[in-house]
Amino acid sequence: MLEARNLTFSYSGKPVFHNINISVKPGGITVLIGPSGTGKTTLLRCLALLEQPQGGEIAVDDQVFGYPWPAGKAFNPPWPRLTAVFQSLFLWPHLTLRENILMPVRRYKKDNVMDGEVEALIEAFDMGEYIDNFPNEASLGQRQRVALARALMLGPHYLLLDEITSALDVEQIAKILSYLKGLRGKNIGIFIITHLLGFARHAADQVVFMANGEIAEQGGPDILRNPQTERLGQFLSVIAAAS
Amino acid sequence: MSVLDILINYHMAFLSGLKVTLELCLVIWSCGIIFGVTLGCVGANYPHSWGRFTRAMSFGFSAIPTLVILFWLHYPAQAVFNVVIDPFYTASLTLSLVNIFGVGELVRQAVVDFPAQYIVAGRVCGLGTRDIVTKIQLPILFRQLLPGLLVLQVGMLHATLFASLISVEEIFRVSQRINSTIYRPVEIYTALAMFFLAVCLPINLLAAYLKKRYTRDLSER
Repeated sequence: MLEARNLTFSYSGKPVFHNINISVKPGGITVLIGPSGTGKTTLLRCLALLEQPQGGEIAVDDQVFGYPWPAGKAFNPPWPRLTAVFQSLFLWPHLTLRENILMPVRRYKKDNVMDGEVEALIEAFDMGEYIDNFPNEASLGQRQRVALARALMLGPHYLLLDEITSALDVEQIAKILSYLKGLRGKNIGIFIITHLLGFARHAADQVVFMANGEIAEQGGPDILRNPQTERLGQFLSVIAAAS
Repeated sequence: MSVLDILINYHMAFLSGLKVTLELCLVIWSCGIIFGVTLGCVGANYPHSWGRFTRAMSFGFSAIPTLVILFWLHYPAQAVFNVVIDPFYTASLTLSLVNIFGVGELVRQAVVDFPAQYIVAGRVCGLGTRDIVTKIQLPILFRQLLPGLLVLQVGMLHATLFASLISVEEIFRVSQRINSTIYRPVEIYTALAMFFLAVCLPINLLAAYLKKRYTRDLSER
């Protein structure tokens, strides 16, 4: 289980979030929703062990990281068992999209195994036409698919995704989300920040609503139909009006 | 007397001058690349000590004209320390220092400005520090630095002309000496220009090849 306990984070003395408790079960999908600027991406970066919170702890299976992290103590995050795909994607510009997927995985897998897996992902995500282009020759939607494929090739136990379908068309979103749902069978725990409430309703095991730096409400996907707090109700009505 | 006649009659003198120029360049380029790259990397990793030192020295060497530094090291400095140093070594030292701090600052700046997100992506993909440096940072930095480095090295080749003013027998001084004998400035300096073209042509071809091979427009759509 990937778990954050009493996580507190501030940036330049300004609190971003406070006492956050969240968990991602192996084979489960946790969806984080909430208004912009509420600290969702920072929370994801903390869960990915890329930021050092001021308090609380993060447990990745039996490995526990307590904060504040003691100065001088070795920090060995379990990457890529725990990996993330960010909104800005961070594809390496000097490598083709295919190389972006293959380069990190070369040290873990044999060429023939790797090639088979890449071809399966290329087919699943419709990447055949542009896979040998460089990142700057691909659209944002194409790069989103490649970034997700790169993370999946690493065989993660926990996959953290930040708005990775924002530039995809409806058909592509459906394909990717159905692929993500299929990962449950492989026991991969998924934590996803998204505005796609439909996905949260149909696929999430747990929905977490974050507002003003704290978890305002969390529960099963039914909280999206029957919100228990006024704040979530407001948020859902705004989303419904916008869409 | 045509340019060709001058080249034929004085080819030995020109070649000896060119040899000195190329020897100077070899020292300046080697020192600049080896020590400059090292200094730049150290400066980026230790911004408060080596970084400031590199910036300050680079500013000093770019603000003070190379000729002034060269003259200072050749005349007053040697008088103060009561030593006589071969002008070739003085010129090599001066121009190498200029190149080292020029390259150092170029590299330091590129390393400091390196987009951290590419390193973060490497980390979450499980890459170790060595892989991140060799497979992500170095290839991207190389592509970024290549054009600036080549321009700087061509600039250093041109700066070797200053060495003639402290009586280093490089190609410009040889040309001046021949001109003082036969007084054919147009032909002689045309011949000199041809030598520089001949030296710069392979550098430019190499630059064009490396640019085509390694650098692309990385901006995203």
